[in-house]
Amino acid sequence: MQDNKGKIFILYRNKKIVFEEKEIKVKDIIKRLNLSTDYAFAVKNGEILDANEIVKAGDEIKIINAISGGIR
Amino acid sequence: MRKCIKCGKQTQIYLPQHRLALCKEDYKTWFESRTERTIEQFKMFDRTEKILVAVSGGKDSLSLWNVLVKLGYNADGLYINLGIHEYSKISQEKVQKFANSIKKQLHIVEIKSEFGKSIPEIAKDRRKPACSSCGAIKRYYMNLYAHKLGYNVIATGHNLDDEVSVLLLNTLSWNVDYLSRQYPVLPEENGFVRKVKPFCKASEKETAMYAVLSNIDYIEDECPYADGSTTINHKKILAQIEEFSPGTKLRFYLEFLSKMYPLITEKKKNEVVIKSCRLCGEPTQYEICSICRMKA
Repeated sequence: MQDNKGKIFILYRNKKIVFEEKEIKVKDIIKRLNLSTDYAFAVKNGEILDANEIVKAGDEIKIINAISGGIR
Repeated sequence: MRKCIKCGKQTQIYLPQHRLALCKEDYKTWFESRTERTIEQFKMFDRTEKILVAVSGGKDSLSLWNVLVKLGYNADGLYINLGIHEYSKISQEKVQKFANSIKKQLHIVEIKSEFGKSIPEIAKDRRKPACSSCGAIKRYYMNLYAHKLGYNVIATGHNLDDEVSVLLLNTLSWNVDYLSRQYPVLPEENGFVRKVKPFCKASEKETAMYAVLSNIDYIEDECPYADGSTTINHKKILAQIEEFSPGTKLRFYLEFLSKMYPLITEKKKNEVVIKSCRLCGEPTQYEICSICRMKA
C-alpha cells in the first residue's frame, strides 16, 4: 500500500500534483505553480484558504487559477 | 485568524484591495450587493427589462446569471456553441445543467449551422488567430439573437481584469477608437442592443471565489485558443503590480472612466457613422459588415 501520509496533494486544473513537504504555506504552493496570489487561491473542503495558511502533509487542496484570456 | 467585518466569525477570506475580511455567507452577500450597486451606478437596466446573459460556461458568466436571478432581475441565457471540439461540448453541458438548476430559459446558437463553419475551421481558412474572428462572431450573433428573441439588454461577464488588461493594451498603443468604446454600458442605438458589464468592478479572483462558494459548476479549463494570448500576458503583468500595490487595477479603471473617457468621447463624437450592412442588414461602420466579409 502507498504511504500518502507524508505528502501534500494538490489538484490543479484536473491534474493531481504531489508535494513531498511536511508543511507549506498556500502562497508558496501558488508561487511554485508559477501563479500569483492576485488571481489564484486554494480551496480545502469547500472553504477558501488564506494565502498565509499552512497546509500539512496528508492534506488535499485544490488550487483555482482565476485568470482567463482570449477575446470574451 | 481574521474576523468577518460583518458578523465577527473567524474567516480566511480577505480582499487586500478593499481591506476587507468576510465570512463565506457575507462574502456572497457583499458580492451580490456590489454588483447591484454597479448596475445602479452606471444605469445599466432595471427589473422591468428583459436581459439576455451571454453565457460561456465559465465562472464569470455563470456567476453573473446567478447573481442577476438572485437579485430578482428578468434574466435568461444565450449560449453560443463555437464548435471548439471537447471544450464546447463540456461548456454547453455545464451551461445547460446550470440553466436547469436555476429554472431559467437558455437559448443555444450553433455557429457551425449559422455561419457554415466552426471557429477552428474559420481560423484555419483565414490563417489568423482564432480569437480575432471569435470575438466579432460572438458580438454579431449576440446582437442578432437579442433582437430576434425580444431582449432589451445583453449582459456579459467581463470582469475588472478583462477591462483593465484591454485598457492597458489600448493605452500602450493610444488606440483612441477602442478607448472611446470602453465603457461598462454601450447604449441601444443604430441597430445595436444595449450592452452592459455588471462585473466591471469585480476582479477575476472575486468572481471565481463567488462561483466556488456558491457551488457553481463551471468549466475550469481555458479555451484551447486562449493559451499564450496577449490578454493573459497583460493580466499577469498587472497582477505583479497589484501584488505590491493592492487596488491599482480598480483605480486605473475607475480613474479612466471618470477622467479620460469623457475627454475621448467628446472628441470622437459624430466621427463614426453607423449604417446597415448591405447584405445582412446588421449595424456596421462599413458597406458590408465584418461577418459577411468573413463569409465571402
